[in-house]
Amino acid sequence: MEKEIAHVLVDVRDAKEVEKGFISGAVSIPAKTLTSANDRFPADKSAPIILYSDTVDADSFKTVRSWGYKDTTVLNGGFGAWTKEGGKTEKGKPVTTISYVPKPRPGEISIEEFKAIAEKGAPGKIVLDVRDSDEAMNGMIKGAVNIPAGQLAERLKELPKDKEIITHCVTGIRAESAYEDLKEAGFKVRFLNALIQIDKDGKYEITKK
Amino acid sequence: MFIKRLPVLMAAVLALSLLGTAGSSFAERPTVLAPCKQCHQPEKDLVRGTLVSVSERFKTINVQVGNKLVWVINYGDDLKLTGVDKVSSIPKEKEIGIRFTGDEKKPYAVSLTVKPPAKVAPEKLVTLDEMAKLVAMGTDKGNYLLFDSRPKPRFLEGHIPHAVSLPNDKFDELKDKVLPKEKDKLVIFYCGGVT
Repeated sequence: MEKEIAHVLVDVRDAKEVEKGFISGAVSIPAKTLTSANDRFPADKSAPIILYSDTVDADSFKTVRSWGYKDTTVLNGGFGAWTKEGGKTEKGKPVTTISYVPKPRPGEISIEEFKAIAEKGAPGKIVLDVRDSDEAMNGMIKGAVNIPAGQLAERLKELPKDKEIITHCVTGIRAESAYEDLKEAGFKVRFLNALIQIDKDGKYEITKK
Repeated sequence: MFIKRLPVLMAAVLALSLLGTAGSSFAERPTVLAPCKQCHQPEKDLVRGTLVSVSERFKTINVQVGNKLVWVINYGDDLKLTGVDKVSSIPKEKEIGIRFTGDEKKPYAVSLTVKPPAKVAPEKLVTLDEMAKLVAMGTDKGNYLLFDSRPKPRFLEGHIPHAVSLPNDKFDELKDKVLPKEKDKLVIFYCGGVT
């Protein structure tokens, strides 16, 4: 939530409880009415849905998950844990309709821009392939540098501080992790958050997740 | 005490070194690196080990097969490759197997295979049902520990109940801190699939 990742936060407690205080940004849909609320959820099934209650509510989780929302999670410890941690809350009438606008994750580079860099190269930018060396051996993007994500910490010296580093892996998972590590080490960096396959001639295909 | 023992020690060292030279001069050279033996039987004309280096100029491939044993194998344009496109793309320390002709002093490579990704043995896997039961019991009652190998930010966005974060790329750094002291405890890892 702090990282500004687009998500849907649903408070499944009873409406009366919610009015006394709820997590900022939450939408109120009491567990009792949840089963009939399917059409109020986003069309995008990859939307991260976070549910919370007073306890761990496994039933609500199963309901939402069964609708096909793969990225459904339950807030550990519920509302109690949230207030104990000093999380932001509000009082009064909560929102009851979900509005979800997907946003790129922080540090994400667009597929178009990545392609342009991979095609022609760009002054001041380098493509960093963070796959393991035995994945990279069967083909890399032309001009890219390979440092496996697991070796990054001890090989930072090989990277320039005056250039922007664009990381990629196969799915964006390791690339994002490398992005976090490099950003923390003071590098200028972004990452490709998409599926990418590269063949032995360096030809590649990128698919949106 | 110390002085008395010294000659014994020296004799032992001497004997060892004699053994060493004698061993390599008339016995057959080993063809399989120890870890490869878990799945492969030694074969006389097949060297299994890790890649040290390739010289395209001298047309040789150096393969580590023991602590101090490196096979130097010649190759030509007729080398048959499996799992890789050209010899020069194989990363160092990668597990490879080379079938050769000629005697061990002047081996010539016929085919080279790069080790494919290993399959996980079924006895090492936990089933979804077992996992669900364990999660319902909790780590104390279930007597297990569950580790999430995904990057930390992913863990923070959501994880299986009772899981502990141990990102794969931070494993060496964190293992002593988070892995249990009891070696007989069941330890389960999960990740997010292809990365």
